Amino acid sequence: MRQSIRLKINGDLYEVRVEPWWTLVEVIREEIGLTGVKEACSTGECGACTVLLNGKLVNSCLILAVEAQDKEIITIEGLAQGGKLDPLQEAFIKFGAIQCGFCTPGMLLAAKALLQKNPQPTEAEIREGISGNLCRCTGYVKIIEAIQAVAKGEF
Amino acid sequence: MSTSFGYLLKLPKFEHFEAKEILEACLLLSKYGERAKLIAGGTDLLVSMKKREVIPEYLIDIKGIRDLSYIQYQRGVLRIGAVTPLNDIEGFPIIQERFPILASACHQIGTPQIRNLGTIGGNLCNASPSADTAPALIGLGAKAKIMGLKGERTISLEEFFVGPGQSALQDSEILTEIIVPELPGLSRGEYLKLPARTTIDIAVVGVAVIVTFDPKDNKIGDIKIVLGAVAPTPVRAHKAEKIIIGKTVEGQLIEKAAQVAAEEARPISDIRGSAKYRREMVKVLTQRAIKQVVRI
Repeated sequence: MRQSIRLKINGDLYEVRVEPWWTLVEVIREEIGLTGVKEACSTGECGACTVLLNGKLVNSCLILAVEAQDKEIITIEGLAQGGKLDPLQEAFIKFGAIQCGFCTPGMLLAAKALLQKNPQPTEAEIREGISGNLCRCTGYVKIIEAIQAVAKGEF
Repeated sequence: MSTSFGYLLKLPKFEHFEAKEILEACLLLSKYGERAKLIAGGTDLLVSMKKREVIPEYLIDIKGIRDLSYIQYQRGVLRIGAVTPLNDIEGFPIIQERFPILASACHQIGTPQIRNLGTIGGNLCNASPSADTAPALIGLGAKAKIMGLKGERTISLEEFFVGPGQSALQDSEILTEIIVPELPGLSRGEYLKLPARTTIDIAVVGVAVIVTFDPKDNKIGDIKIVLGAVAPTPVRAHKAEKIIIGKTVEGQLIEKAAQVAAEEARPISDIRGSAKYRREMVKVLTQRAIKQVVRI
């Protein structure tokens, strides 16, 4: 039986009616229409569905929508503030850290969470920070360089 | 739900209950029996459900039970609530300082995203022989506190693992707490995991070594060697331990102990590795872990 829940996404409040078995990624994409978050593996292994939940990096394909009620959710649409791109987004563009773009929403959120926790990460720490996000195009080099540049304050 | 692509996995239908207290969860488990499953982080359960390996009609959500998520350190004893996320354990300063092998073990599970959701209780209750928190916890002499309708009981973590995928939990019982006793003064430990390929992968072999040094002469006062993923449950390599206890450690002794540990393993061959390869890797990891711990 559908249940009415409140979801707080990028500062906005949404009221949706959901079944218990609907995952957060399904609801964000299909009920709310924010399609920046992607679903690829459905099993928490690729990170394409990554969102921030109360500031923590999580796989939204492994969260039931009903579990996310009253929590602060940030998707890629919430990264840019007031129309201005986040330094990480600028750096990704500048460094060519985006090819097909499918991993990018999740990757940017992972990078954001990493730098918030560890503003001066080593290369190994960057690799660990994005270890839950698979990229099939870039080989990660440009992604890591972009993150390093932001950490150095170049953006 | 409008669109559905062929490759995406959907959950089967179920009813979802939010338990507010431990007893409530036990009662629900008792009421629905085999038709219900507890859900904490969901990082293993939801995947199994999407693959239709398990299809519970009822999910009993225990994430909201405050009495199950905590880390306490009092008089040298560590108590961790079963529903505590792995990341919280990994990042807890006292655990990093005094039980670094546990922080290391938690860190080697999954990915950052999974560690923010997955719980220590989930890792243990799934009772996979390759559960990464198990070898370190068994080596630390940890105990499991279990609550059921008939009351509470505490058993050693070694006893908690019964078989592949089978824990000692009886009907309607819930793992509530993991208790880690105080470590003797001069102790050091290491958990080495050989993943199939890279991050996120399950351990092909896992070895935890904890050494307690004799303060008088720096010989090995005690050693625990615990092997993961190479037997139906995590196992202690007792014979290998006996070779080292009381001795002064040097290369040949370590190699011998590692060889014996490999013989004590009972691995299977599966998609991640052959039994022969696993045995060989037990030897490699045991040697490496002991050397790292005794700083040779």
